Amino acid sequence: MARRTALVFATLALGAVVGTGSSLSYNEEVLPSTLNPLYASSMSDFRSQELVFDRLYFHDAINNDLKSRIIQKFEMVDDGRGVKLTLVPGIKWHDGKALSAKDICFTVDAMLDPKTTSPVAEGYRAVLAGCEAQGNQVAKIKFTQVFHNPLERLGFAVLPEAGFTSTAISPDLDFAAHPIGTGPFKGSRGRRAVTFDVFANAHHNPGIAQLRLNDAGDPALQVRSLINNGSQGIIAVPPLLRAELSASDDVTLKTYDLRSWWFIAVNTTKGALKDKRVRQALNLSIDRSELRKLAIGTMQGDQNSPCEFISGPFVQASPYYNRAVPVMERSDLKKAEGLLTSAGLEKVGGTWSQAGQPINLNLGLLAPLNNEAEDLLSQIGNQLTAAGFKRQDQKITDDEWNRRVKTGQAKEYDLVVGKWSFGVVEEVNALFHTRAAGQGKLNIFNYSNPAVDAVLKEYDAARTDKAAQDAYHKLHAMLADELPYLFLWKLDTRSAWRTEVRGNLIAPYYYFTEVDAWKYAK
Amino acid sequence: MKRWWLRPLVRFVAALVLPVAVPFLCVLLLWALPGDPASIICPPESCSGTEELARRWNLDAGPGHYFWSWISGVAQGEWGNSWRLMTGMGVRALVEESVPNTLMLLGLAFIPVVVGSLVAALELVNERVDPVLQVIGAVPGILLALLAAAWQTLTFGPDGERMAGLLLGAAVLGLADGVFSGAVLGTRSLFGSERRQRYVGVAVLRGERIIENTLPNVAPAFIGQLRARGVQLLSGAVVIEVVLRIDGVGDLLWQATLVQDFGLVMPVVTAFALFSSALLLVQAVAEIGVALLVRRSPRVPLGGAA
Repeated sequence: MARRTALVFATLALGAVVGTGSSLSYNEEVLPSTLNPLYASSMSDFRSQELVFDRLYFHDAINNDLKSRIIQKFEMVDDGRGVKLTLVPGIKWHDGKALSAKDICFTVDAMLDPKTTSPVAEGYRAVLAGCEAQGNQVAKIKFTQVFHNPLERLGFAVLPEAGFTSTAISPDLDFAAHPIGTGPFKGSRGRRAVTFDVFANAHHNPGIAQLRLNDAGDPALQVRSLINNGSQGIIAVPPLLRAELSASDDVTLKTYDLRSWWFIAVNTTKGALKDKRVRQALNLSIDRSELRKLAIGTMQGDQNSPCEFISGPFVQASPYYNRAVPVMERSDLKKAEGLLTSAGLEKVGGTWSQAGQPINLNLGLLAPLNNEAEDLLSQIGNQLTAAGFKRQDQKITDDEWNRRVKTGQAKEYDLVVGKWSFGVVEEVNALFHTRAAGQGKLNIFNYSNPAVDAVLKEYDAARTDKAAQDAYHKLHAMLADELPYLFLWKLDTRSAWRTEVRGNLIAPYYYFTEVDAWKYAK
Repeated sequence: MKRWWLRPLVRFVAALVLPVAVPFLCVLLLWALPGDPASIICPPESCSGTEELARRWNLDAGPGHYFWSWISGVAQGEWGNSWRLMTGMGVRALVEESVPNTLMLLGLAFIPVVVGSLVAALELVNERVDPVLQVIGAVPGILLALLAAAWQTLTFGPDGERMAGLLLGAAVLGLADGVFSGAVLGTRSLFGSERRQRYVGVAVLRGERIIENTLPNVAPAFIGQLRARGVQLLSGAVVIEVVLRIDGVGDLLWQATLVQDFGLVMPVVTAFALFSSALLLVQAVAEIGVALLVRRSPRVPLGGAA
């Protein structure tokens, strides 16, 4: 009898091991720079932190509903300027302590503390006014104003009060490498990998025992490793390598909805580019179809093309995309010449000149984009040369992009090629608003247009989805005419996972939101 | 000969100064670079805490202040955490974890150097193999390292295999860039010119062994050569570690410099300086040993016998 009981227990134990699966290894181009959500700056950071922390509210990956795993119920108070949140009971931090309302208020206080030197917190300072814990289970969060979508504004990850000595949270604390969260996995950063060990909780019961994120560098190596089962997943596969993976029976390609679009930002404060007609001529000089063919390998009319042209600052699937504005697929050099001539430019020896000086465009590209669209920089350069512009090409490192381009200091460039990625809420105000009084924080060339600012204010003031959409449709049309950006395309992001990984629903932007349902058995 | 102590003394002093001077020069260099970590993490245009962060990291009052704060912290055992490269990870732990890997790489790479030098000193290398040695020496380390990395990746996957990486790295480091051929040809030339001295011929006629006579005289120069090879290996180790993804201090230095992680660059640079100091100290001690040995030998009266 005892032997039979032992056998039953052994079988159950084995079942549990198989059920929770074994270690799953996947690759990103880079490891996260930090596991502290207040200092997330790259997509790798956001994805990794999603495994370790719970955001107060998040969007369901299937029906887009706003949900929370840690809030049981909410109640709007103070005429919409506050919200009372009641916690789900029994949730524990990775160190075994219970999650309480004090932790939520600590997170809010930390974000509001001026000594917390975090750009993420900076964004929340315009939204949050304070927090008050009412016992262990109820937290009352105060807003700076009445918002039409207040819960949407509570997408921050909750931090443990016990994990810090004060609300002043700096980036280099040990917490950044060994965080304590309430998420499905307990993360730990190593030199060449990050490991995520399962942590079963009242609100999480993941089906995988361990995830291991490797920094594999070269995408071609990642693909080889995946095919040979050296790893089980790749977060983003460059378009040129997808065919090889599609041909493998052991691998499935999955769409990762990153809502990212590519652009060429134009320095509207510099020389001839101040003139709208010159910008429009540049737009007509770019042959997007040809670029797509040469840099991404997609031919015109391809079925399931990963590349979709856009005419404004949204992906075509977005409710904000204005379908009345046509995309520009092919170049029209004749029309471009007409515009340049009308702007007072002369073509001397095949090169456009203004006041006797040849137009010399300084063109930059965010370097990591080269992995997705090989040689894009020189292809754009070639098209500009063919249209009669002199040009110099340079790749811009991630650091330079963050330090100088995003902050509006890279004034030496005339054109920069980049990509913006968005979550479900595609707010573009920071990209196009005049850089002043905390607005326009991502305005690359400090573009300023009062009419555009007015439309952006209209969006801010919108109290319904319809009003927000109307404002952004208007913005789309204005920008397609004004052209502070030459809009290129949305390039599909595809992940690749081995077929042994099942139930792996990929959430937009944050990727691992539904990781509890993932299963893996060798 | 009377001032035989001068050279080792200079080496002792250099060995003491290097671990302080090199990090200080490094700070000056880092200061000259555009941008700083505080404004990269928290750009002043979009984040109001840049000054606070600069204050926390002692970046707010010039290179002298930064250097002094850093060295005081280290003296008190506070090495701090990585700012950007591996944010939040303890710098001390990272350095302690990396040093053994680099020492193992250097140790393994030093084997061909020592073997080559000994074989050359014992005149076991025929001059006919010189062209082969010169060809081996002419191969750039970076090229061999890239080939080794490709082979390693194809054989062991992107993560490689730690020991294979170390052995490949050591082989590349010990053979390429003229390290091995330099050790063989340099040692042979050193011993060869000494062997042609008259006193060696006399010793041979007396039935004594050549090496016993030449070694004490060439020892300082020989040790100097070995130290130079050591320094050459040390600088080569940075490239090898980066290309073959070996978790040593060279790789740490490279990565940390790229992202301006001053807190990590400083101790790694100091580790390199300490290693150079150690080599200088070894050379100085060896020179003292040789000098004492020579001084203990019976003096031959000059000026002829009666």
